[in-house]
Amino acid sequence: MGGNEEKIREVAGRLLRDGEVNLIIGHERGTLPLRSSPCFVTDPEDLDRLIWDPTCDINLAKYLHGRDERVGILAKGCDARSIVVCASEGQVEMDRVVILGLPCHGVINRKNIESEIAGREILEAIVTDEIITLKGEGFEEVLPTETFLDDSCMSCRHRTPPVYDVLIGEPLPEASEDDGYAEVNELESKSAEERWDHFVDEISNCIRCYSCRDVCPMCYCKECFVDETMPAWFGKTNEITDTMIYHVVRAIHLTGRCVDCGACSRACPMHINLRALTKKAEKIARDRFNFEAGISLEDTPVLGTFKQDDSEEFII
Amino acid sequence: MKHMTIAKDGIRDFIDRLVKRCRVIAPVESGKILRFREVSSGEEACFDFHNTKLSPKEILFPQNEVLFKYSKGRGAIEAEAGPSKNGEWVIFGIRPCDARGITLTDLFFSSGEHKDLLYLEKRGRSALVGFACIHPLNTCFCTSTGGNPFGREGMDLLLVDLGERYLVEVLTERGERLIEADRGLKDASEVDVDTANKLSRVAEKSLRTRLQMEGLSEKLDGMFEDPLWDRVHQKCVGCGVCTFVCPTCWCFDVVDEETADSSSRIRLWDTCQFPLFTLQGSGFNPRPTGKERMRQRVMHKLNYFFREHRAFACVGCGRCVRECPVNLDIREIIRTIMSE
Repeated sequence: MGGNEEKIREVAGRLLRDGEVNLIIGHERGTLPLRSSPCFVTDPEDLDRLIWDPTCDINLAKYLHGRDERVGILAKGCDARSIVVCASEGQVEMDRVVILGLPCHGVINRKNIESEIAGREILEAIVTDEIITLKGEGFEEVLPTETFLDDSCMSCRHRTPPVYDVLIGEPLPEASEDDGYAEVNELESKSAEERWDHFVDEISNCIRCYSCRDVCPMCYCKECFVDETMPAWFGKTNEITDTMIYHVVRAIHLTGRCVDCGACSRACPMHINLRALTKKAEKIARDRFNFEAGISLEDTPVLGTFKQDDSEEFII
Repeated sequence: MKHMTIAKDGIRDFIDRLVKRCRVIAPVESGKILRFREVSSGEEACFDFHNTKLSPKEILFPQNEVLFKYSKGRGAIEAEAGPSKNGEWVIFGIRPCDARGITLTDLFFSSGEHKDLLYLEKRGRSALVGFACIHPLNTCFCTSTGGNPFGREGMDLLLVDLGERYLVEVLTERGERLIEADRGLKDASEVDVDTANKLSRVAEKSLRTRLQMEGLSEKLDGMFEDPLWDRVHQKCVGCGVCTFVCPTCWCFDVVDEETADSSSRIRLWDTCQFPLFTLQGSGFNPRPTGKERMRQRVMHKLNYFFREHRAFACVGCGRCVRECPVNLDIREIIRTIMSE
């Protein structure tokens, strides 16, 4: 990943100067250690703000919604797949988007790093594809980046974006040995009661801030079902039934659309593992319909398509 | 001011004694999160922390609160009050920024013609017992907004970590009553007080973020239509994290939750960052995009509230800075405004 920043700036600069795009959406250095932040560049003078390293954990596809200018967007495999899903759903016009594809070794999970550091404050972090160097008052620690990648990256099957206009860097091998379903499989092996208890425990801290929804590129509804008031489909309190309906319905809405980028889990301030639900939805799309979201612009949304031989044994 | 000390290993016993007399609320581990919850013994409380994930506002102004219940009988509606609270409460382990946040919350809920009885009733029965901040975080900026790592505003007792023991500053009569005749406390020596004063100076000096905020409110007076708002909101995804973790965001919504046989009127946290916040019955929304919503948050905290109360509705706790999923940092927004 590292070493490609110059190339990114060069390609982005050419697109801006040639008038091919009016805006570049990328990542810039965050204000805190281990953080990056979305960056919007319209002036080639600002191109040196663009960075690319394992702290770039935000799914930038979110920022394509509602734009009418021509946009060049930096896209990891999961960002690119999100753009493809949004395009297939008529939300993004591909002729106004230039995808600058970034082969990606994975992004870090800062919560896991902070928990490893256990209560000590990280004041400085240098993150490369290989190591994470952390400095604070009276300590310096070096961690292997690989161990602290986000869970979603550990089982990533599309480290090279399947769809792009310009690829920046060399393509990476696609196969991941880990299918990423260990947690889902374990939950599936439990009884309904045990699963209920597990999820009650998991989401009991939810404060309904909707950061999981709001960082998700697939959550673009003009009015989310949680905000509807006539009728109000369910309550707005933190009672477990209200919270559970939100999370379960959101996961159902993402079935066949979620690209498992993990942005929801990384965004959650309350450390809720939202991926346990969306990963199950992703698995259903794969098992029942042999479908993986966001692979090709030719694909039609799996739940928006009917085929005579569609699997239907799960229909009650 | 009266000064006492309490041994560190005696603090849990002190809470045990408090629990017998009143309801004690302290930071506890809830899942992977530290937040204020009622404890039944000192053993449950956590004292080794920078600050809690959510501010103690969730105790005095809970995220959901039943105002009253009602049922529709034959033609008549019968109503009953929400659950009543009683006894004395102690919010234990609060940080100076959050205690100051509560004093600002008091202003919000009690100034003007209408008093918020629901809040004031809980506030009136609550003593605040806090820990001074020996090690402010990188994201802390309390001194910029008018606070201090050893701030006493709102506190009844302030505990200062001296290593083996805590210095206990007794700041109010209510604080005095909490420690009255408690066998765990001893008179403090002059050395203890001196040590605490030194720690206070070190803590204040150690703050890494110092913002120039003098004249900020006045500057914002003329900036409602400034093009700056087009830029600063761009990153914002419109979630409610910053406002929900904020000790000085108080906006709420009121909804009716109805079931077949009983219904409740509930008040819930709301946030100016949600589109629904100002959506009117006609379908018109005066704050239709993220730009207007971000401007509202910044203006309310740093201009409207300041004009009324001569204080920012921000205590510099840094929670919004730490928790924003896209690292939109209010300190940067303040710097940008000041540099315009």
